[in-house]
Amino acid sequence: MSQPALTIIAPGQAADRRRRLLEIAGAAAIAATYIFLVLTQPADIANGPASFSALVALGGFLLGAVLLIVAVLPALPTSTVVLIPVALVLNVVLGQLMGSTGLPFYIDAIGTVLIAVLAGPAAGAATGALSSIVWSFFNPTVLPFAAGAALIGFLAGMAARGGLFRRFYLAPVAGFVTGILAGVVSAPIAAFVFGGTSGLGTGAIVSAFRAMGDTLLAAITKQALISDPMDKAIVFTIAALLAYALPRRTTFQFPFVRRYRVLAGKAPAAPEA
Amino acid sequence: MTPRLHPFTTLTLAVCAAVVTTAAAYWPLSVAVALAAVILAARHGIAGRVLTAGAVILTPLCLSLLVLHGLFFPEGQTVLAQWGPARVTAEGLGFALELGTRTTACVLVFLLFSFTVSVPDLVSALAGRRIPPQFGFVLASTLTLLPAVAGRLDRIRQAQETRGMVVGRGLLSRLGTLRLQMVPLVLALIDDAGSRAQALDARGFGSPGPRTSYREVADPPAQRLFRAAALVFAAAAVAGRIVASWPTGAAS
Repeated sequence: MSQPALTIIAPGQAADRRRRLLEIAGAAAIAATYIFLVLTQPADIANGPASFSALVALGGFLLGAVLLIVAVLPALPTSTVVLIPVALVLNVVLGQLMGSTGLPFYIDAIGTVLIAVLAGPAAGAATGALSSIVWSFFNPTVLPFAAGAALIGFLAGMAARGGLFRRFYLAPVAGFVTGILAGVVSAPIAAFVFGGTSGLGTGAIVSAFRAMGDTLLAAITKQALISDPMDKAIVFTIAALLAYALPRRTTFQFPFVRRYRVLAGKAPAAPEA
Repeated sequence: MTPRLHPFTTLTLAVCAAVVTTAAAYWPLSVAVALAAVILAARHGIAGRVLTAGAVILTPLCLSLLVLHGLFFPEGQTVLAQWGPARVTAEGLGFALELGTRTTACVLVFLLFSFTVSVPDLVSALAGRRIPPQFGFVLASTLTLLPAVAGRLDRIRQAQETRGMVVGRGLLSRLGTLRLQMVPLVLALIDDAGSRAQALDARGFGSPGPRTSYREVADPPAQRLFRAAALVFAAAAVAGRIVASWPTGAAS
């Protein structure tokens, strides 16, 4: 206690390295699980309900998501941590509001993308994964998709850092690309854990590909490539609209927004600027 | 009956039940697990809530499975009926039954856990382990924020209606009213979060180090032993499944 500087700095660096390792391990677990599942997908699902693949998919993806949360969460500043519950609530409430307009999309990631735009890729990834875990208290079927949700948050943050939200027409493009990647990563979960999709509309698209003789994973991946990019393009557009509709005093209080000039326009004159 | 099981005990039970059901891939077992979950829910007096929430989640999923695999299952051999490209096969119906019952069992078991667990107990139990304290905060904060936000959204809608907001029939008018409700909601929530962050930081939320919890959750040794045994059992079930169906043939 008499030499706080000596005792604090060294563990801090060690903790940083440990966190970095955990992040890499989490991302590697998700990537390895996906590659393993695609390489070893059961050739003939008629033999049994792909129980082995389901266990691998659940274990690998959840492990990856949990590692990412453990790595990222303690490093986030408090101002970002308090935003995560807000993001989850927004995911749910705005998703329901969008549902009331009668548009045929399940828009359930607006909060995650908005937080990623305001607070960066790490916050976005943690928000996505945590959203799935907390929301699984009410709907356990979203739990296995935690890795996909983390990927959406991470990619949204990277797009924001790269300045794709500065030009309004680029936000849907970033959403489209994110949707492709997230859809492909989530397809094995839908295929092996649930054996299909939860919506009747998406189920019809999968049926069409199955009728042409595709394997279940191929059919669901193709369906995801049809619905997800469109869905995420809309989500990114709504998140961008919200980010610009908020007063600049609010958006520019986030260090990530100021540092990477995420949003177009000048920072308001602040006492510290 | 059991008034106070440690939250981790019920969580371990739910996870192990789901893992064993998935590993076994045997629909009578799935049905038995689902029934057991419903009976336990009834004994806790929450069968109605569990079944309602389960039905909302499972009905579209099971219908979708039935249509998808019941009508289109190219791997199926035993054709029961055929209309054009759609073939009803015994294998497809069996596959839909296996996956439908498995998902039903897992969903009901987890709903039983989340509807019976006491969130304050769970949060303080989490804080006692090596789990980042922020996780407990996010969990508890979200669960308390959800009802508050529903109320706030209602007030925003009323305020905008007094200012002349009318929900029209056209899509553009609907999107317009949506914007009138979403922007104030998001702004208020982010603003609130900012002031909450300052209050939390003032109380040392962001500082590292161990946390003290005023809430003690009893964790008897018997329950610890039971958890360990349940985990070993689940691990054995997974190991058995992996050994039984390691995809040597499929990988080549």
